[in-house]
Amino acid sequence: MAVQAEPIPPVVAGGEASVLMFLVAGKQLAVDMDRVQQILEYQPPTRTPRRPSSVEGIIRHKGRYLPVVSLRRRLGVEEPGPASSAILLLSGIGQDPLVGLTVDQVLRVLSLQPDKLPPPPPRVFGIRVEFIRGVVNAGGRPVVWLDVVKLLTSAEPITLLA
Amino acid sequence: MTIPGAVGIVTPPLQGGGPTATKGELVERLTPAKRRVGARAEGPAVREKFLLFRVGDEIYGMGLRGLREVLLSDGVSSLPAPPYQVCVALAYRGRKLPVICMRALFEVPPAGAAGTERVLLTQGRGRPLGLLVDEVLEMAEVDPARITPLPALATLLDPACFRGLFARQDRIILLVNEDGLGGFDEVVQFYAAGA
Repeated sequence: MAVQAEPIPPVVAGGEASVLMFLVAGKQLAVDMDRVQQILEYQPPTRTPRRPSSVEGIIRHKGRYLPVVSLRRRLGVEEPGPASSAILLLSGIGQDPLVGLTVDQVLRVLSLQPDKLPPPPPRVFGIRVEFIRGVVNAGGRPVVWLDVVKLLTSAEPITLLA
Repeated sequence: MTIPGAVGIVTPPLQGGGPTATKGELVERLTPAKRRVGARAEGPAVREKFLLFRVGDEIYGMGLRGLREVLLSDGVSSLPAPPYQVCVALAYRGRKLPVICMRALFEVPPAGAAGTERVLLTQGRGRPLGLLVDEVLEMAEVDPARITPLPALATLLDPACFRGLFARQDRIILLVNEDGLGGFDEVVQFYAAGA
């Protein structure tokens, strides 16, 4: 079943940004809400030949064919994710109009004030600062706001640290 | 006449082929009407015919227009690696032809012989080219309007290797492009070496 994401402006007049927060391998991560077009239940993609290591394959959604990237694999996590994972449909990533991104579990939408975020450290969970837009606290735990465009268009290997 | 190892003739033999079929070559000649593979059907929906085959767990398709023969794989032999990682050779009517091992090209882990492997003998860039596949499945007719280009992120292979993709029932089927495969480095090298 597809869940239509409500259109929330990324940065409102007061300087707030909305991000979608989710879990991958126990880490709280987030992406810009304005890139999230839809959230789908996981469906096994058709595996494509000689694909990039983080690409799971292709799915068909509403007559369109979309590549699906595993965020676990992109972050160097070898263990498979839970069966009940989700696929975020993201726009504005590379050459494809829509790209699916598998995450372990969708948590919630957060409102942030980017101007008030402290500069992120050089690495968080092993992810270099080039791929991070900011770090915030939610429930006493850090949430890493990813620069998902850079993350998915770069081939630089990443190893998510425990 | 039936020859052991033959699977079926789709179109006339390749240029340079002798009149006598040998083991592994195809035998059953189709009528001219049947030979018009890929011919456009009458009516509003113009459909194109594809041969579906399996590589690993996935299904692929190839246009019938260039397909000449479907052969058993017993005429296939390996080539020295390097330079050949993906190409093998097929002994065919006194000559050797390049055959792309689709498992190797697609980076599907090798599997033991199942007896279902076949060589699809086609034309790539005007020259004979074989594709070694795990199994030949069936023919499919597809409206070309339903064929969509592959997403850019889908594969690291040259996009020219694929005609596109379409959905059939619940499966997504990728269509290979023989001309694109005919431009594959090892195939070009094979012909340049006069192998």
